[in-house]
Amino acid sequence: MKGEPMAFEPRAAQREILSYTGGKLGVAAVPGSGKTRTLSALAAQLVAERLHDGEEVLIVTLVNAAVENFTTQIRGFLKDRGLLMNVGYRVRTLHSMCADIVRDNPGLVALSDGFAILDEREAADILSDAVTAYLRAEPNAADHLLAADLDDGRRAALVRDDLPGLLTDIASAFIQRAKDLALLPEQVLENLQRFDQPLPLAAMCAAIYASYQRGLNYRGAVDFQDLIRLALQALERDEALLRRLRARWRFILEDEAQDSSRLQERILRLLCGEDGSWVRVGDPNQAIYETFTTADPELLWRFLDEVGVRAVDLPDSGRSAEPIIALANHLIDWTASGHPNAAIRQRRPLRPPHIQPTPPGDPQPNPPADEARIVFVGTTFTPAQEVEYVAESLARWLPDHEDETCAVLVPRNQRGYQLIDFINKNHLNIPTVEVLQSSTSTRQAAGVLGNVLNYLAKPDTAGWLSMVYRVWQRDTRDDPDRNARTLEIARILSQIAHVEDFLAPAPGGRDWLREDSDAAALFETDPPAADELRAFRDLVRRWQNAAVLPIDQLLLVLAGDLFRAQADLALAHSLAVVLRGYASRQADWRLPQFTEELASIARNQRRFLGMDDAARAFNPDEHRGRVAVTTMHSAKGLEWDRVYLLSVNSYDFPSGMPGENYYDEKYFARDGLNLRAEALAQLQASADPFTFDYVEGAATGRARQELIGERLRLLYVSVTRARRELIVTFNSGRGRSSQAAEGFIELRRYAQAELDVTMEDV
Amino acid sequence: MIKPEQLTPLQSQAASLPATGRFFLEGPAGTGKTTAAVARLLRLLNEGAPADSILIVAPQPTLALPYIEALRRADLPPGGQARITTLSGIAREMIALFWGQVAPSAGFASAAAPPTFLSLETAQYVMAQIVDPLVEDQGYFETVTLPRGRLYSQLIDNLNKAAVVGFPHTEVAERLKPAWAGDPASLRMYDEVQDAINRFRAYCLNHNLLDFSLLIETFMRHGLPVCSEMLFRRASHLILENVEEDTPAAHQVFRSWLARCESALVLFDSDAGYRRFLGADEDSASGLRAFCDQTLDFSDSLVASPSVQALTSELARIMGQYAEHVQGDPAAAFDYDLARFAPESLDWAAKGAAELIRQGAPPGEIVIVAPFMSDALRFSLIERLRERGVTARSHRPSRALRDEPVVRAMLALARLANPAWGLPPDARDLAYALMASLSAGETGALDLARAHLLAFSAYPKSDHPARLAPFESLPPEIQERITYTIGEKYDRLREWLEAHIRATAAPPTEDKPKRGRRKTVETTARLDPALDHFFSRLFGEVLSARGFGLHKDLIAADAVAALVESARGFRAAMERIAAFDSPAAMDDSVIAREYVRMVEAGVIANQYIGAWQRPDADAVLVAPAYTFLMNNRPAAHQFWLDAGGRGWSERIYQPLTHPVVLSRTWAAGDVWDGDSEDAYRRETLFRLVVGLLRRCRTAVHLGIAELSETGGMDQGLLIEVFNRLLRRLNVPGDGTAGSSNQHEGRADGI
Repeated sequence: MKGEPMAFEPRAAQREILSYTGGKLGVAAVPGSGKTRTLSALAAQLVAERLHDGEEVLIVTLVNAAVENFTTQIRGFLKDRGLLMNVGYRVRTLHSMCADIVRDNPGLVALSDGFAILDEREAADILSDAVTAYLRAEPNAADHLLAADLDDGRRAALVRDDLPGLLTDIASAFIQRAKDLALLPEQVLENLQRFDQPLPLAAMCAAIYASYQRGLNYRGAVDFQDLIRLALQALERDEALLRRLRARWRFILEDEAQDSSRLQERILRLLCGEDGSWVRVGDPNQAIYETFTTADPELLWRFLDEVGVRAVDLPDSGRSAEPIIALANHLIDWTASGHPNAAIRQRRPLRPPHIQPTPPGDPQPNPPADEARIVFVGTTFTPAQEVEYVAESLARWLPDHEDETCAVLVPRNQRGYQLIDFINKNHLNIPTVEVLQSSTSTRQAAGVLGNVLNYLAKPDTAGWLSMVYRVWQRDTRDDPDRNARTLEIARILSQIAHVEDFLAPAPGGRDWLREDSDAAALFETDPPAADELRAFRDLVRRWQNAAVLPIDQLLLVLAGDLFRAQADLALAHSLAVVLRGYASRQADWRLPQFTEELASIARNQRRFLGMDDAARAFNPDEHRGRVAVTTMHSAKGLEWDRVYLLSVNSYDFPSGMPGENYYDEKYFARDGLNLRAEALAQLQASADPFTFDYVEGAATGRARQELIGERLRLLYVSVTRARRELIVTFNSGRGRSSQAAEGFIELRRYAQAELDVTMEDV
Repeated sequence: MIKPEQLTPLQSQAASLPATGRFFLEGPAGTGKTTAAVARLLRLLNEGAPADSILIVAPQPTLALPYIEALRRADLPPGGQARITTLSGIAREMIALFWGQVAPSAGFASAAAPPTFLSLETAQYVMAQIVDPLVEDQGYFETVTLPRGRLYSQLIDNLNKAAVVGFPHTEVAERLKPAWAGDPASLRMYDEVQDAINRFRAYCLNHNLLDFSLLIETFMRHGLPVCSEMLFRRASHLILENVEEDTPAAHQVFRSWLARCESALVLFDSDAGYRRFLGADEDSASGLRAFCDQTLDFSDSLVASPSVQALTSELARIMGQYAEHVQGDPAAAFDYDLARFAPESLDWAAKGAAELIRQGAPPGEIVIVAPFMSDALRFSLIERLRERGVTARSHRPSRALRDEPVVRAMLALARLANPAWGLPPDARDLAYALMASLSAGETGALDLARAHLLAFSAYPKSDHPARLAPFESLPPEIQERITYTIGEKYDRLREWLEAHIRATAAPPTEDKPKRGRRKTVETTARLDPALDHFFSRLFGEVLSARGFGLHKDLIAADAVAALVESARGFRAAMERIAAFDSPAAMDDSVIAREYVRMVEAGVIANQYIGAWQRPDADAVLVAPAYTFLMNNRPAAHQFWLDAGGRGWSERIYQPLTHPVVLSRTWAAGDVWDGDSEDAYRRETLFRLVVGLLRRCRTAVHLGIAELSETGGMDQGLLIEVFNRLLRRLNVPGDGTAGSSNQHEGRADGI
């Protein structure tokens, strides 16, 4: 379990890792094997026993949520050892580590020290401007991408409605890949000119890239990908910097190494050096970011086989009941030997080690096998029916299991929203925790700040002041009694006729706190409320005085008073930077406009991914009796007693069988091409001096293979989230053309034939 | 004032040095050099030396404050005044004086028209006119990532470096290029730099404009001989303060003067050189020693307690510098607080300061510094101090003027008072302006709710041109809510503004000289619409009056002084430039609007705060660390905030220029790489830490927050150095090693 203060008793495989003192170590861990805890213990041990002055242990993780998790655990271990808790190590994501490197030497990569790092949202805005401008200048440029048999009306509608979005997606992938290859727009254009063949799709993307990059320069900003590119550039150019960083980061511990991109591997390899100390922990079977990034599980496989690398397995897992473990292991075997697609059997997207239950006497025993329940619902649902089925199942199950944890995992955010909508519209009594895109915490933090700004924009309205009070007391929401009290005080505040009588009573004038009958009645029954409201008044006065500060500074002042979580503070800072950007471009913006902007972020109208979408560590145990609704991707690293998997059909989990549709192969694209894959292939071909031709369509085929493999791993990840109960359904899709995924059919067959588990309907 | 009997023997010796001869006073900060020099100054005057025979030169005005104060307080024989100035001050005066002679030989367009001296901001304005078209039309500077304002200032910086180091400005690119360790594709930016500064220089010469660089160059090449001649007809006694903070150009001037003067005191702080980024050169300063007859070594600190000295020495050794072992307990001179969040650090510092004052420490003996001080940090800290009844003062030079709330208030009122601009203020800005203007102390404060109510009731948006309504015309219940006390003051402000509008719209008066300008807009006829006059009258006649918001508000007064000074400089420069291009002078209201636009765009920075300041009130100083150093006043207790941060060792990065590569000591052909940067950083940290400690009497209190203001987990060099010290002193973590935010160490007084 994450973050539990329970004493750590390492089991044999974990002890082997803890015996590490240097060199290169590769660890293939299975789901639930306690790798975070083991790695944290190792980090603390190295800090305590192996470091000299000026050295540090560098821990690289995948997402910000893991940063907090690691930090907490390492602090705990260091505390147990009687050491200062914040010295000797640093936990970073690839991005924040690169930001450290670049910040350390901005001059070297031609940045000023005040450079801004754009969050994905602002970057997306700039990109979408670039696409719009491009299409305006070249209205017919995209014609060659569309299928020839479209009629004019349909074509016009596509160009108007679908093309800008599609082109933005393609260009975004193209730019990211170009930056991975360390190619700036001029170089891409040059390569394209030199190439023997015209590559119109790449040329189009290159033009958009150029205009996007100008947009960044104009703002004195870099995007996330630039940060990595520039960090690598600094390390490769400046030997002294590299030497210094090598000396500083004596040990590098890398978590989630299966999702390491080529660039991350290159950077860490550089930082580690020939004889350095580098521990890579990962589970290649859980690599699920291949299609979005240049992540590639093969990199970790190869590392494990490298000469000079000690390879260790962490195969024991106390997470799931044995039947669920058997199911996951069967998926590994079937992929290699039984999958209907020969190319996939050969690629082996899933490989051993198999998961093994913990040995007897282990402090973390597997749930008893007889409590396991595995259900593959064979009915072909429509999407709406599937949602209804799951909602009804939850409604039946939940009341009797308030102490258990439960999640619904969906392949895409949209399915999650559909389920939540259904639950809300039908007033089903199912408390949900939504962990979808733009995490709740992002919206909450933006909402908290937005509400205070809104009040400051209308400082004489009692309604908004009352809202500020509720925001200030937002921690009471989880406790019905305290929440009721907060609402009551808020109600009284909202009825103040003149807020200034409360906030700043004039000398000799009326003082609401003393004279109002509502307030008096409240203090009668609830004496502490008087002090509390006085403290609240002091705070609001301070904020009133801060209202004259520049917007970003105002936000930081508010955040300092309102937030205690690292993610929230960091988020407030990102928001402050975004709003400062607006302030410098829109001289006439005042609080109402800034508030509106924050509100739109809070409403999730626009994506704000300044942080990873999983900025805050989500702990399922804090949400017992409620249903977490999240994507299969975001569920990584988490576990629940009961897990529902939705949409396990041939569209979301294709197998390369005839008649399947692929998300990236648009029906309106010429020859059914996967335009994104083709654009990337054109870029790659033009950049590679040994490639002389580009064959259209080959990349589309390759992309299918990759997708099929990655989706099998996603299924594996999803199955292994369940501790005791797993319920899997599928639907026929919007076009009613999808069937159960091949993996679904096989696992269902296996469970029925081989496992002694309950299979009745739920 | 220091009495002779309070001087140390060494100081007495320095003060009574003969009135002929050149003396080099050397030693770390806090050893009493300046006090000795002041004593000598007073002695010379008392012994009958004519005041105007004494010339005191400091690298920047704040460093001359002890002399100014001493002369103000001293009971001196009547006569002229000793001159206290800077090198650029002298240069400016001399060039103005000898313009007819200098202009033709220096290549200026006209000796008949007067020269115009550009301040940093007017220089930036001119640079913007030159660079913007290059950036927008010709794609200049595409390979660097840099906000526009910083682009201008770095270009100007290059010119300044060339001037003070003493190489032709046309060599900037060829000096910068070989040192560049980054992507060779970016090298083109230096050619663009060169072209831009060449164009700027040509423009200046063609318009009789002297920015700082051209001022220094012209003075060094064409003004120095005549000037020295003239100066030493009167001046014969020199005091050169903090020469280590001055530039090679200044040192060259000093060398020639040392040869001519009757007596000289040259003061040199070792381990300082905080103005390196402005071209200060310690090595060339220490070269002045050779031009003196005698050196006096000041080494005993009169400021730091033995513990602080021991701490300084320990830390210096940890930082790899030589330092003599000092008897004393370093652990008694510092403590630290480890908090999880930055705001908790602020609470700790505010509480600590309040507690020290309660125990009898004078507030003026407490400073709270951080390497950088954002508005949020400064605001939050001052608020927390205020909540504990502690008065604070704060200096923060070089920030955008528009970020000063009082400046924004003044701009809103200026828009209101000049309806002819067609730029009515936003009602919210007006509310803030009223809040700032009409508050009076804690009890008479105008809160935001009332200010809002007042602005939105008295300033109807539809009414055009926008005017404020009289208080009595507001609905009675609104009047009552706002209170009549506020209403009365509101009316005074409103009537003042109305009077201004009437006066500026009045027909032309006979006695108003038209300064050769033609009628340009219909409101030409006016009392005096110059913005600087408006600001200064508004402040002097209303806002600083008793009962109004800025009464006795020192921070605001500084900001307004800066605004007035800046607007005046801007107007003067613009009038001259315009007059040069066309006989039709630029209209004041055009200049005023342009000025408002510049301030609101953030281009105009507050360069004036801390110029020749008044003696400080007895209040806790909240300032960036370097500002505290340049104020050069010790304090008993120093709180160092954000001690875990990286700002303690980092310089401001300037991709288009370079403080070291463009210095005298840089060897042509060397490359500035990460090692150079790292060494520079460690050096910077050493100087800063030692500089602060030498100005510390009793103790340093370190505030460490695990999560910075930005939510990041910074681990800078400073905390690393202290961590090593802790290990050496064998001070265990914090006893239980784990409870964060718990006070520890052995702080005096907390």
